[in-house]
Amino acid sequence: MRRILLLSALALLATSASAQLPGLRKRTGPPGTQQGAPLSGIDALRADFATRSGGDTVFFGIGSAVLGAPARATLAAQAMWLRQHPEVVVRVEGYGDAGDTGDHALALGARRAEEVRDYFVLLGVRSAQLSTTSWGKERPGSPRAVTVLVR
Amino acid sequence: MISPHRTSLLLAAACLGSAAGAQQPGTAAATVVAVPPLSTPDNKPTSAGNTFSLAWQASKLIAQDLQTTSEVMPLPPSEKDYYSFPEVTAPSFIKWRTNGSKFLVMGFVQARSDKRITFGCYVYDVDKGREVSRKGFVVDPGEWQRAAHKCSGLAYTAVTGAPGIFDTRITYVAESGVGAAKTERIAVMDSDGSNHRYVTSGDTMVLTPRLSPRAARIAYVGYEGGKPQVRLLDIASGAQHPLVPNDAISFAPRFSPDGSKILFSMMLGPNSEIYVASAEGGPARRLTFSPAVDTDASFSPDGSKIVFESDRSGSQQLYVMNSDGSGQQRISFGGAAYATPEWSPDGQWIAFTRRDPGGRRIGIIKPDGTGERLLTNGVADESPAWAASSRELIFQRAGPTGVPALYRVTLDGSDPRNVVIPQGGSDPDWSGVID
Repeated sequence: MRRILLLSALALLATSASAQLPGLRKRTGPPGTQQGAPLSGIDALRADFATRSGGDTVFFGIGSAVLGAPARATLAAQAMWLRQHPEVVVRVEGYGDAGDTGDHALALGARRAEEVRDYFVLLGVRSAQLSTTSWGKERPGSPRAVTVLVR
Repeated sequence: MISPHRTSLLLAAACLGSAAGAQQPGTAAATVVAVPPLSTPDNKPTSAGNTFSLAWQASKLIAQDLQTTSEVMPLPPSEKDYYSFPEVTAPSFIKWRTNGSKFLVMGFVQARSDKRITFGCYVYDVDKGREVSRKGFVVDPGEWQRAAHKCSGLAYTAVTGAPGIFDTRITYVAESGVGAAKTERIAVMDSDGSNHRYVTSGDTMVLTPRLSPRAARIAYVGYEGGKPQVRLLDIASGAQHPLVPNDAISFAPRFSPDGSKILFSMMLGPNSEIYVASAEGGPARRLTFSPAVDTDASFSPDGSKIVFESDRSGSQQLYVMNSDGSGQQRISFGGAAYATPEWSPDGQWIAFTRRDPGGRRIGIIKPDGTGERLLTNGVADESPAWAASSRELIFQRAGPTGVPALYRVTLDGSDPRNVVIPQGGSDPDWSGVID
C-alpha cells in the first residue's frame, strides 16, 4: 500500500517538476501512450508494458536461477516491448528464497536478475537499457525476478 | 530478600562451581562471585552524584553484568556488607568463604580535585586468600558505567580466563513494520542494552552491519543507489561512503581482526566471489574463482586463514582457505547445508547456520572440521556472531509472526536468551573489547 502511494507521489512530483523547473528536460513518452490516455509518463509506459508483455514477473524453482520455458516466453514478450521502446530503462529485481540464509539469498536473487538480463541481451535489448538489483529474502513472496520500468 | 528456593539454587551452583574448576565449553556450572558494595574514602559530590551513591550503583551494575553470563553467579551488593576504604586491599576472606564465594570483587570510587573520579577495582581468589588482579581507571563521573563494565570484565576474566564482554557494542538491523512497508535502520547499543541508538535514517534498506574491532566504524550493505552495495559508516560523525567505487552488487562485509581490511562478496556478472580491500579504500583483490555462490567470508584471529561458504558442491558448505585464496578445503560434511560461518576470536571454533528440512539452527565446528555441535533448536535461527569472550554468540531468530528477534546463546549448552530491543531485529554483530 505504502509502495503504491509512494510511486504515485513520485509520478506527481516528476510531472510537476518537469513542467515547472527550468533546465529540466521534458519527458517524452513514445507516441500513442500520451494522446488522450488517462495515464501519463512512466505510469502509462508501465501499464502498456504489463499489458503487452503479459506480466512483469518470472518465477524460479527453489534454489535455482534457471529460466524455464514459461519464464522465457514472458521474457521474450518483455524483450520485444523493450526493443520497441529503446528510450526506456528497466531494473530487473531478483528475489531469493525465504528459507535461505540472508547473504546466499541476496546472491541468488542477484543471479536470477542477471539471468534475466543476459536473456534480454541475447534477444537484442540494448544493455544500456538494463540494470539489476537483488532484494534477497527481505521481501516476501515466491522466488522470482520482476522487470521494473525506471524511466 | 533471597527466597529459600533461590538460596538452595545458589548453594547448588556453588558446589558445581568448585567441582568444575577451570570450566570448559559444554559444562553447565557457575562460579559464585561476591560483589559487596564498593567503598568510598570520602563521600564527595561529583557531576554524576556523590561518590557514595556512584559506588553503590557501580556495584549493582557489576553484579548485573556478571548475572548475564552463564559462568558466573554473582552475589549482588547488600547494605550489610559495606567495608571501609582500607579494607579494599585487606579483605576478610573467612566471611566470604562461608557463603560459598569463590571470588570477591572489591574497589572504591574516589573524587579527584580535577572533577574526575578514580575507580579502583580488585579481584580476589577467596579460597587462596589472595589478589588475582587489579585495575584503576580515571574517568569523568558520567563515564562510571564504562569503568564498572571494565571491573566486571576483570572479574569475568579471573573466573574464566576469557576476555570480558561488558565493555563491547552490539549492532543490528532494527526492523519496524512488515513487507514493503518495512523500515530498516542500523542500531548500535552497549552489550547490556544501554545507550541504544539508530545510526542510519531508514530512508533506504540496510543489511548486515559489521562493527570494526573497536566499534568506531560499521561496514554494512545499503541500497542508496537502488542496489545492494557495501558501505562504510563512521559512527561518531555519521559520515558514510561506498567501500568500492563501482556499480557492482556487493555484500557480506566483515572487518579483519586488526580492522585494516574488509572481506566482502561482489558480483561482476552472475557470480558472487570473495574479495578483500583495505578499510581505507583502494582496489579490491579477488580471492575466489568458482562458478558458484562464494560468500560470507570471515578471517581467523591471526588473519592467516579465511572461512567462507560456497555452494560449489551443489549445496552451501563451509570452506577454509589461506588469506591469499590458496589451499581451499571443505570442512563441513554433516549431511546438511552449512552457511554464515564466523571464526571465533580465540580461533578455536567456527560458528555457522545449519540448514536442513527441520529448519535453520546455530552450531559450532572446529576449523579442521571436527567437533561439530548444535547450540539451538529453533526452526529459523540464523547469522551467529561471536562475543569477544569466544564463549557466547548472538544470533537472529524469526518469531511465529515472522518478526525477527535477537538471542544470545553460550557454548555450555544452556538455553538461548532473548536480547531485549525496542522493536524487531536482524543481522546482529558484536564488537571486540573497546580500548
